[in-house]
Amino acid sequence: MPVTFHIPGALREFTAGQSRVQIEHSPKTLAEALSALWIIYPGVRDRIATEQGHVREHVNIFIGDENIRYTGGLASSVPDGCEISIVPAVSGG
Amino acid sequence: MIGQVLGHCRVVSKIGEGGMGVVYRAYDEVLHRDVALKVVKKDPHLDTSSSERLLHEARASSSLSHPNICTIHEVGENEGELFIVMELVEGKSLRAMCADTGLPPESVLRYGVQIASALARAHDRGIVHRDLKTANIVVTADGLVKVLDFGLAKQVGSGMFDATTRSFVSIQDASSMSGTLPYMAPEILRGEAADYRSDLWALGVVLYEAASGCLPFEGRTGFEISSAIMREVPKPLGPPIPPGLWAIVQRCLAKEPMQRYQRASEVQAALEAVQSAGIVSPAPGPDLGAPKTTVLHSVRHAHVRSGDFLLLVGTTKGAFILRSNAQRSRWEVGGPYFHGHSVYAMAYDNRGGQHRIWASTASYWGTLLRSSDDFGKSWTNPQQAPIRFPSDAGVSLKNIWQIALGRPEEPNVLFCGVEPAALFETRDAGETWSLVQGLFDHPHRPRWMPGNGGLALHTIVLDPGDNQRMYVAISAGGVYRTDDGGLSWTPQNQGIRATTMPEKYPVFGQCVHKIVMHPARPERLFLQSHWGLYRSDNCAENWHDIANGVPSDFGFAMITHPRNPDSVYVVPVESDEFRCACDGRLRVYRTRNGGASWEPLSRGLPQKRAYETVLRDAMTADSFDPMGIYFGTRSGQLFGSCDEGRTWRKILEGLPSVVCVRNAVVGDASGVLRPTSPKVSAPSQQTKSLPKSKTRRPKG
Repeated sequence: MPVTFHIPGALREFTAGQSRVQIEHSPKTLAEALSALWIIYPGVRDRIATEQGHVREHVNIFIGDENIRYTGGLASSVPDGCEISIVPAVSGG
Repeated sequence: MIGQVLGHCRVVSKIGEGGMGVVYRAYDEVLHRDVALKVVKKDPHLDTSSSERLLHEARASSSLSHPNICTIHEVGENEGELFIVMELVEGKSLRAMCADTGLPPESVLRYGVQIASALARAHDRGIVHRDLKTANIVVTADGLVKVLDFGLAKQVGSGMFDATTRSFVSIQDASSMSGTLPYMAPEILRGEAADYRSDLWALGVVLYEAASGCLPFEGRTGFEISSAIMREVPKPLGPPIPPGLWAIVQRCLAKEPMQRYQRASEVQAALEAVQSAGIVSPAPGPDLGAPKTTVLHSVRHAHVRSGDFLLLVGTTKGAFILRSNAQRSRWEVGGPYFHGHSVYAMAYDNRGGQHRIWASTASYWGTLLRSSDDFGKSWTNPQQAPIRFPSDAGVSLKNIWQIALGRPEEPNVLFCGVEPAALFETRDAGETWSLVQGLFDHPHRPRWMPGNGGLALHTIVLDPGDNQRMYVAISAGGVYRTDDGGLSWTPQNQGIRATTMPEKYPVFGQCVHKIVMHPARPERLFLQSHWGLYRSDNCAENWHDIANGVPSDFGFAMITHPRNPDSVYVVPVESDEFRCACDGRLRVYRTRNGGASWEPLSRGLPQKRAYETVLRDAMTADSFDPMGIYFGTRSGQLFGSCDEGRTWRKILEGLPSVVCVRNAVVGDASGVLRPTSPKVSAPSQQTKSLPKSKTRRPKG
């Protein structure tokens, strides 16, 4: 089952305008799913992750309804057919 | 051939015939779909190993899956003839669509983005097209671009390709070459191997042709075309082609591969940036059925002409470009650019005749260095952040605090000071950046402490007379100097008091807020510290207190006068705890005697309940005589003076917090004031001690 990424508006210029991107093969972990995403749309990578490979401080990723910060981070498992949302955190002034 | 079965495809009808072979419409009887089937002509020049390589290459290309690449389904051989089964693409070639007059710019951008995206994917997989041309690009009825024949050119050889574009018999016979002459990069004509950048050259030719209907390099013979490619500059593309698109084409068509974009993804990002800047062509093009370019009505652009005066204003929520003339009395405001991103550093670079504005942007989505060659109408938006720490550095880029131009004799050199504290440099005008390892590896670095704004290298000062000498200031690390072009660095903080450390005069660790140098006297520097105003007359070997008559020696911003090396301007704030103008009165302080005394400049500035803060890079001086001086505040007000600070006017209010103000005279090479000066020899230890002042200071 493919997994589907929900892309926030700020990043759609790097996904040819698409708000949903499907990853055809079945990634086991979030790291694998993200790698597949930025093979297709490389511009997304540096917006989501730091050069040390960590998810940016003010970017939240949800697998279904779960924030990955509480489910194992990039090692979080990705169920078949799940939806992954990338959203900016609530912060700033 | 009609009715014959190759692989599991039954040939239905002939579509066309070219130099490479015959193309048929066929029907895949297993997968029940229409396909195109290309039967490659037998080439007597190809030996068995060449045929195998062609087969291998075609198979590699078949691994490419991308919406803008015509998919190769199957490659096979039938009685010694190679056949390729591929996606059946129905549409018009870009060549046919742009014939004679060219396409409207919106279409060029839309198709260009798709072609660049296709190249980026192929290049990522190590596949070079080698024969990109408008005849190889098909646009479907719904505006989708398909690039054909990926990776087939090299092994097949140009002679087998459909080289109908131009005839060039002498070149065609050169077995080492492949492709179509008018699209060939200079390095291929020189006999060098084609690489990704040769495809980017061809993309430049394609964009030029799509925009104008003409090829950039033309001639009646192969020799004339080759000669034009090697030596000539294409005729400029004027309106309605936006300058940003023309700039992209020019960069793709740089004669040297190193001078081009280095990745197709960069071209894609640049095209997207021009797209997002909004283009409205005067007349709708012929392809109304295709989607429209997004036009950002909320962004206004300043209409900049040569001789105009500009203020570049970076704020915590975006950047603005203000335009005026030499009178500096009326202002046109462009922006906001980079909605919601903080822009801590901006710079105008007119070296080498360019008009490039640099800006750093920081947001949730990371920190980028971006540039505009058309005064903000379009900005680069690189797919990959150009300034990045190496993956083994253990730290990640948070912000870019300073963009400093290199010396005039090195127009491709720039420096960036970043947070966490580090220095980056480029020697190819921003194409590639590298960490200045000598400073990053300094044994003091682990003991530098972050200030309120983070651990930032925020100030870079180049010695104009000594191209190996440079200073940086770090909060809180202090001043460091290199005398060997960045290989090694020494702390230069003798005499600077540290108020936040047990030792009052440590070797390093001071929270220095700003240092400035007058280019005519590079041995002299002034320094605004976290509590403290100082001067050094010996290349920062030691520093002396010059806070003689300022209401507070706490502050951030500091600038020099463009002609008078004894004249310096600061904006004192009350204290560390209360970082606002002293007594609610907004006053700039000036010394005209190297810090022996200071005078307030407040005429026209608010003097009641003006609890303003002017941050370290939010003040700038122009090169006019009398000098103009401009500053922005944290409350979003912008003030200016055209008479060296004697009187002030409010230029603008209601901006987000201003963190950076820079100025430029457009087209004026002297905008970067760097008078030549003698090389400074060994720093002198003889300095005049200045009288101590009664200045508000912290306790302890």
